[in-house]
Amino acid sequence: MPKLEIKDLNINFGGIRALNGVSFAVGNNQLFGLIGPNGAGKTTILNIINGVYHPSSGNIFLDDQDIVGFKPYQIARIGVGRTFQNIELFKNITVIDNLMLGRHRFIQSGILLGSFYLGRCLREEMVNRDRIEEIIEFLEIEAYRKKIVKMLPYGIQKRVELGRALSMDPKILLLDEPCSGMNTEEIEDMARFILDIKEEMGITIMMIEHNMEVVMDIADRICVINFGMKIAEGNPREIQNDPKVIQAYLGEDEPFVRE
Amino acid sequence: MTEITLPSLFEHRVEELGEGVALREKKKGLWRRISWDEYHTHVRNFCLGLKKLGLQKGDRVSILGDNCPEWLYADLAAQAAGGIGVGVYPTNSYVQVKYILDHSQSKFVVVKDQEQADKVLMIKDQLPFLEKMIVIDMKGLRKYDEPMMLSFHEVEKIGEELHEKGPSLFHEMVQATQSEDVAIIVYTSGTTGPPKGAMLSHKNITSVVDCFFQVLPITQADSLVSVLPLCHVAERLFSLFIPMRSGCTINFAESIDTLQSDMTEISPTIFLTVPRILEKIHSAVTIKMQDAHPVKRWAYDHFLPIGQEVAERNLAQQKVSLFLRVAYLLGYFFVFRPLRNRLGLLQVRECVSGAAPLSKDIMKFFHSTGLMVKEAYGLTECTGVFSVPKGEDIEIGTVGKPIPGWEYKIATDGEILMRGPAVFAGYFRDERATKQAKRENWLYTGDIGEFDEKGNLKITDRKKEILITASGKNIAPSEIENRLKFSPFIREAIIIGDRRPYLAALIQIDYDNVADWAQKEGIPFTTFKNLSKNPEVYKLIQGEIDRANKELSRIEGIKKFILLEKELDRDDDELTATMKVRREMIEKKYGDLIETLYK
Repeated sequence: MPKLEIKDLNINFGGIRALNGVSFAVGNNQLFGLIGPNGAGKTTILNIINGVYHPSSGNIFLDDQDIVGFKPYQIARIGVGRTFQNIELFKNITVIDNLMLGRHRFIQSGILLGSFYLGRCLREEMVNRDRIEEIIEFLEIEAYRKKIVKMLPYGIQKRVELGRALSMDPKILLLDEPCSGMNTEEIEDMARFILDIKEEMGITIMMIEHNMEVVMDIADRICVINFGMKIAEGNPREIQNDPKVIQAYLGEDEPFVRE
Repeated sequence: MTEITLPSLFEHRVEELGEGVALREKKKGLWRRISWDEYHTHVRNFCLGLKKLGLQKGDRVSILGDNCPEWLYADLAAQAAGGIGVGVYPTNSYVQVKYILDHSQSKFVVVKDQEQADKVLMIKDQLPFLEKMIVIDMKGLRKYDEPMMLSFHEVEKIGEELHEKGPSLFHEMVQATQSEDVAIIVYTSGTTGPPKGAMLSHKNITSVVDCFFQVLPITQADSLVSVLPLCHVAERLFSLFIPMRSGCTINFAESIDTLQSDMTEISPTIFLTVPRILEKIHSAVTIKMQDAHPVKRWAYDHFLPIGQEVAERNLAQQKVSLFLRVAYLLGYFFVFRPLRNRLGLLQVRECVSGAAPLSKDIMKFFHSTGLMVKEAYGLTECTGVFSVPKGEDIEIGTVGKPIPGWEYKIATDGEILMRGPAVFAGYFRDERATKQAKRENWLYTGDIGEFDEKGNLKITDRKKEILITASGKNIAPSEIENRLKFSPFIREAIIIGDRRPYLAALIQIDYDNVADWAQKEGIPFTTFKNLSKNPEVYKLIQGEIDRANKELSRIEGIKKFILLEKELDRDDDELTATMKVRREMIEKKYGDLIETLYK
């Protein structure tokens, strides 16, 4: 049974058909790569899954539950975590606070109890902080724990954002260009973290990424989108040799990945 | 009567201190205490686990990874089982790792994490003696299908089962260890040629610790942060051997990146360091002060000379005038105390620098802040320490008096020779080198030195590194090099001049500090190479060299220099694992460049 299944998804913006009958399925604990040229509709798909946009037609099943029509916060509650193309963190608070915000769905005590910081509230804070610390250790950001986010280097901010998505203990993680704007070393680290998340935490991952080396290296399965339509789906080897994909990327008969 | 070995001392400490804190480790942002009892349980289980997996007396267990409590558990466990612990630098490339695992014929290797495990997996087919790889942190490795791999925790589990069947087994094994047995093999960093494995027995270790305590006593109240690599004999001495006698607490930082703030939190009382770290602290402070608030800068600039004056008077046992004392007190509260607090060095009562010669200027700088840095001298082959200044009896430029227990003399060619119970057992699988280093029980150190009238030992240089200029003058390069490295803009300096008419230098600029300077001066640059080639930078370094030349005799002055266009690198065989320069290699590699200095 697939973890996430997208069936015949369509969406129109004004007169433009941004997605045209896209369907694919992401298996449990799979690392699923979504690639395609700029403006192909990749981020739109993530936004629909998140409930930011509502599709004109089509269905999205998460663990066999149709989630079309859910509000973004409801979708977060059922376990969909996400990072963004441009970092969307609270820039003026610390790394810890950003991550604790990710735990919001687990915190029961309200503003009244919270202001006294006693009893259940204190216990809750400790349990959640413990989980945050596990994530900090996992992502190796111990040195930045109490730093204000906007002061941190870009690569670290990217890692913190991944940490915030993880802190909500998602069933599925949507990553929008996790390696963009990074240097080679940072990319290697990030690829390693993504693989470790899949393997150590058993989380299903759907990733948009333009760095072909990374996608081909770590993805289990890849779907290629162009002009709102799916043009290919398969494992990395199949995708690399697919003539339609090559054409979409380069417009000529050259392989787009050099090995 | 049982023999005195590290494992038997360990059992004594456990009995004596039980619930007391032995180790602290920062995890999840909090310092976690590990009592002596818990320490014992880990060592016992791991030891029995190794036994069950087939560890025999005399078998080698290599340990590869950054410092952590498990490093110590593994080392002690191997020794308790009659085995030998072998440390490997975590920064070593897989080729260097292979050399040590292969040469030591290790049966087991304990690795910290995936990074280190991958190195071993890459070469496992070329290691016929290796049977099991034990991984401390399994993150990212759980999916590996590798029959030779198991986790540290699994081994402890196996050991625990064995312990339940025979609760006295571990104690009996410890009782069976003998003081003449080899406890550890330390591979020397090897500035010349491949590393050699120095075998140190329990007796070597216990005798050196006892002698050391007569000069520099360490008690249960002391605490240390384990910073330097544990495979180095000095760090092993401080983090493993000394606690077995004194019961002091060892702390492990969360990661390299958090070291500075972890130091501040722990505020250790004993600080073991190397010149490179002190140089780094000094240049960081110097650079930071240039950017500091004018008031702070003024205070720093004015109080530092006062601190220096007071320190010098104290060392020379001269009277310090009331005015100076008041001024120093002000300086202490407004500058030195906050500075040392920031560096995590406020509580330090003994600061020992070793492994390489320390520049006098750096030493004076720390003395000014009230931190009485001492320089110790020792070799791997003499179990770490031969001499260290006692108390306030510090003579800058010397390494103090030999600690009790050593017999010593200076050979006719100036070489330091020593004899005593701490002289190593020999090099592992290298008879020839052993015979060369140890003749009639005298250890030939390869270092040139002399004693001054007070009996303090002054090290001139490595015997092999003494330069003889064309005019026949002997010159010790390391002292001049250290003088140059005192400049925050110079990271590395190599003096050339053997059989040459004058001295010249290869200089590696300190990229961070020079880049910072260039930015302020509005000099555009892109890379290290580009920066090194810039004529303005050349002028800057020329200024630094001129200043150094003023303090050197004419014959020791540096006539010409060249800025290296790349940073010296371990991976290019230019530095050893302890970041010492491999002179021979560099002189060979940059031969053409050096020739241009003499045209």
